[in-house]
Amino acid sequence: MNFEAIIEKYTVSILDHRIKTLIAILLLVLVATAGARFLEAPSGYRGFVESGQPNYQDILNLEEKYGMIDTLSFVIKPNNGDIFQKDVIQLIHELTEASWQTPFSSRVSSLTNFQYTTVDDDDINISDFISDTDLMDENSLQELKSLALQERTIVNFILSESARVSFVNISLDVPEDTGFEDPIEFANEQKAYFNTKYPDIFVTVAGSAMYSNNFQTTARSDATSMYPGFLALIIILSYILLRSITASAISLIVIFLSILPSMGMAGWLGFEAQPPLIIAPILILTIALAHAIHILSIALTNMNEGMDKKKSIVESMKINFTPVFLTSFTTAVGVAGVNFGKIPAFSEMANTVVIGSTFSFILSVTILPIIFMLMPIKTDGKSSVVLNALSKLGDLIYRFKLYIITFIGLASLLLINLIPNLYFDDDFDSYFDRVDNWVKVKNIVNDEFGSSFFIFANLSSEETDGITSPEYLKKIDEFARWLETQDEVVTVTTVSDIIKTLNKNMNGGNNEFYSIPDNKPLNAQYLLMYEFSVPYGMDLKNQMTADKSESRLLIRLNMATSKESIEFNERTDEWIKNNLQGYQTDGVVGIPIMMPYVYQENTNGLMRGLLFSFSFIVIVIGITLRSLKLGLISIVPNVVPFILSYGILAIFTNIVTFSHTLSILVSLGLVVDATIHFLSKYKKAESLNLNASDAIQYCFKYVGFPIIVASICLFSGFAFLLQSSFQTNFILGGMCALIILIALIIDLFLLPALLLIFRRRNVV
Amino acid sequence: MNKFLLILFFVMFVNTSLLSEDNFEKGLRIAKESYESTRGYVDSESDQMMILVDPKGNEVIREISGKTLENDDPNDGDKSIIFFNKPKDVEGTVMLSHTHVNDDDDQWLYLPALGRVKRISSSNKSGSFMGSEIAFEDFSGNDYRKYEWEFIGEEEYEGEICYKLVSIPKYKNSGYTKRIGFTDKLLRPRMIEYFDRKGELLKTLYFEDYQLYNDKIWNADTFRVVNHQNKNKTIYKWVNRELNVGINKKDFEKSSLLRLAD
Repeated sequence: MNFEAIIEKYTVSILDHRIKTLIAILLLVLVATAGARFLEAPSGYRGFVESGQPNYQDILNLEEKYGMIDTLSFVIKPNNGDIFQKDVIQLIHELTEASWQTPFSSRVSSLTNFQYTTVDDDDINISDFISDTDLMDENSLQELKSLALQERTIVNFILSESARVSFVNISLDVPEDTGFEDPIEFANEQKAYFNTKYPDIFVTVAGSAMYSNNFQTTARSDATSMYPGFLALIIILSYILLRSITASAISLIVIFLSILPSMGMAGWLGFEAQPPLIIAPILILTIALAHAIHILSIALTNMNEGMDKKKSIVESMKINFTPVFLTSFTTAVGVAGVNFGKIPAFSEMANTVVIGSTFSFILSVTILPIIFMLMPIKTDGKSSVVLNALSKLGDLIYRFKLYIITFIGLASLLLINLIPNLYFDDDFDSYFDRVDNWVKVKNIVNDEFGSSFFIFANLSSEETDGITSPEYLKKIDEFARWLETQDEVVTVTTVSDIIKTLNKNMNGGNNEFYSIPDNKPLNAQYLLMYEFSVPYGMDLKNQMTADKSESRLLIRLNMATSKESIEFNERTDEWIKNNLQGYQTDGVVGIPIMMPYVYQENTNGLMRGLLFSFSFIVIVIGITLRSLKLGLISIVPNVVPFILSYGILAIFTNIVTFSHTLSILVSLGLVVDATIHFLSKYKKAESLNLNASDAIQYCFKYVGFPIIVASICLFSGFAFLLQSSFQTNFILGGMCALIILIALIIDLFLLPALLLIFRRRNVV
Repeated sequence: MNKFLLILFFVMFVNTSLLSEDNFEKGLRIAKESYESTRGYVDSESDQMMILVDPKGNEVIREISGKTLENDDPNDGDKSIIFFNKPKDVEGTVMLSHTHVNDDDDQWLYLPALGRVKRISSSNKSGSFMGSEIAFEDFSGNDYRKYEWEFIGEEEYEGEICYKLVSIPKYKNSGYTKRIGFTDKLLRPRMIEYFDRKGELLKTLYFEDYQLYNDKIWNADTFRVVNHQNKNKTIYKWVNRELNVGINKKDFEKSSLLRLAD
């Protein structure tokens, strides 16, 4: 019994046992879907990093010693003038007090509660920089301004150099598995209150917690803004293309029953609802729709030609079973290549698509034919206009095959030349550049402070109480000052700054004593005194360990691209190697340092994934079509779209981010689908001994339409991602849409032309 | 007979006044009685050891010794001197405090490496004591005058029926919004939960190793503090504690700091 006979027997048998099959499949779908409630809330940027990633481990080590690095910050900017106006200071004072109420806050630091030291002979007073806002007049405000601008731990940390923008920073210590929603909700309430109370002062919420929370809010807003529109589009498209309400309804059932259990399985597997996961339903939808359209359109064509209903669907299954399986399989393999990357959020998205692809295959070959039989189908008996047009296209291609190959060949050569201009880079600060409010805040902060990011460096003296030794303090000071000479750094503060300030103040405020004393006990006693003088939440636990063997530097980073960050990190490691012997340090640590490495590893991984997926797909095609020639020819339409789209990308930009790379893997399996459908029909035509022109006509008749339909669906799906407020989804959507569009053109023009040319040579 | 009636009336009156005592008055009365049961020690001397334990179990040890002097003036606070012994770098540092009930304390610090006495600001009593989970204000936590009290019932704690008291700091710079504690029938505080400025449970202080000193005063010789937010622990122990030892009152003057340090 040959394969087609097996499929025929199989289809007839499920149609005979339709109720049993239906119940079994629906049960499977139900159980899988039940997992959806376990989908986890996104953990922000941390969901983009594998737990074993060395730079992430550095962050975790740092957090173990000094508490969580995430903060919420209020950005305060008066519409006119600088911070040193009575109402602005009053606002900061009130906001500081209110901020202590933030859920999970561990400390609050601002201009008003900055612990400022004053000396009066032998009286040392360490207290809030500004406590009594009622008595302030213009003179005292100006005095405060000049004092503040002299404090190196104020400038560029809580006050910009221009004194026009100030921060109230809230350190958070959120328990594991708890998001930032509560603190952010509280901060937003404060923001609303102060915006009403002080309409002339701009107050907003920023900080790494807010950045992290953007992942969740964009995921949610993407889902709510994109899904309904996309769904409507698909309903309209499937109706226009199939011209049958019932057939459209069948497609929609298959689509839903593919998406629901996939998201459910994502829940069972403990995936996080990160923004990339938003893409998964759109991809699954297009895959399922493509299957449905391939199977239904041929069944409908058969019915139009007078076949009875059962025979129509059985015949369609005979033609489509292999390509539907193959396309599901290659899509899954293509997307599975994303797992070679190093970003869990994207791997989870990819694996959800793999699951969805599997479900869509299962449903297309079980429920779909059954529902087709159960539902009343009417056909208009007319041959489609599209089919006539396609038949004309087939003729044109037959006549102009050489021109087509030459034209596309030349275009490819031209565009390939542009590709070397591309280089890999990434800027994780740009993730939310499509969120208006975020960009506004980001621009204010970046203009005034260089960037909104802090990084850290831990320096261990490797002995208990070692950080008060003059050698250690001088080293850490040298390290800090060297860092400040780097373009990537705005400013740095360390324990040495505290010691220097104390030494000056303990010596009557004399600037000559702004230095590190060569006396370890004295330094230790200074710190003891300082610790006795600061209130709750202002201690030094966030910058030195309890046994005083280690302390950390706080570094305000300048804007830097991935490449610059990596260079900066390497430069710093080099400096540490040459200058900090005898001390233990992990170098600079933080999100902006970690992410570039994550991208780098991820891009390298994706390249390996691409190689894997691509070779696997080519082999699979060759084996199933049992033809080396077709296997080799299939490489062309599967590679050219990527070359052309990257060439086109190079016209607009030089930077390739990891989302661009990702787009290749995501679309590879889909691009391949069309080729598979085309080639499998071509093979069938060859086996029918059709001549070259008729073979192409045969392909256009049976797959031209479904390929166009599937491509339009995919194109619209990806184009919808252009609405995403998550930059990565936006790029991914744009690139994939472009690739799919080019692939369609290639499949309709170049592939048949190539088949014709190689066929003729074979014949000759 | 008249006398008997008078006594009867008196007893009834006292009873009704006790019966009509509300929970705030009752809380204050218990707190006051508890505080007063620790008074009359005249002065004391002790060695103290503090163990700081981080969430991973790493320990850091601090050692000090101290003297305190009871203030005869019931409207003013006690005086104390702390000598720092360990870590070695701060050995010889001495801190003198004159506590006050309603005003900021006066504090002076003698730094041996500097050779000078510095008066330090002390409105910040909410800060950590030597990096521990204990704040300055916790040491005077038994002074009933610093809080508003409320009795909220009796509950069993470690097998004993205790008074459950809520206390709210009067001191505006306090690091706490509220404390909830258990005081046993011997009027000894046994456990206090501290709630931070946002009203969340911050830490619990357990009073352990109670000893009866001089046959009349109960002192807990161990304070064990567990911070529920940062998961650190502090164990604070008093050893060689002696009461009524006859310390020279002049030792508690600023002018004596330099002399005492040697």
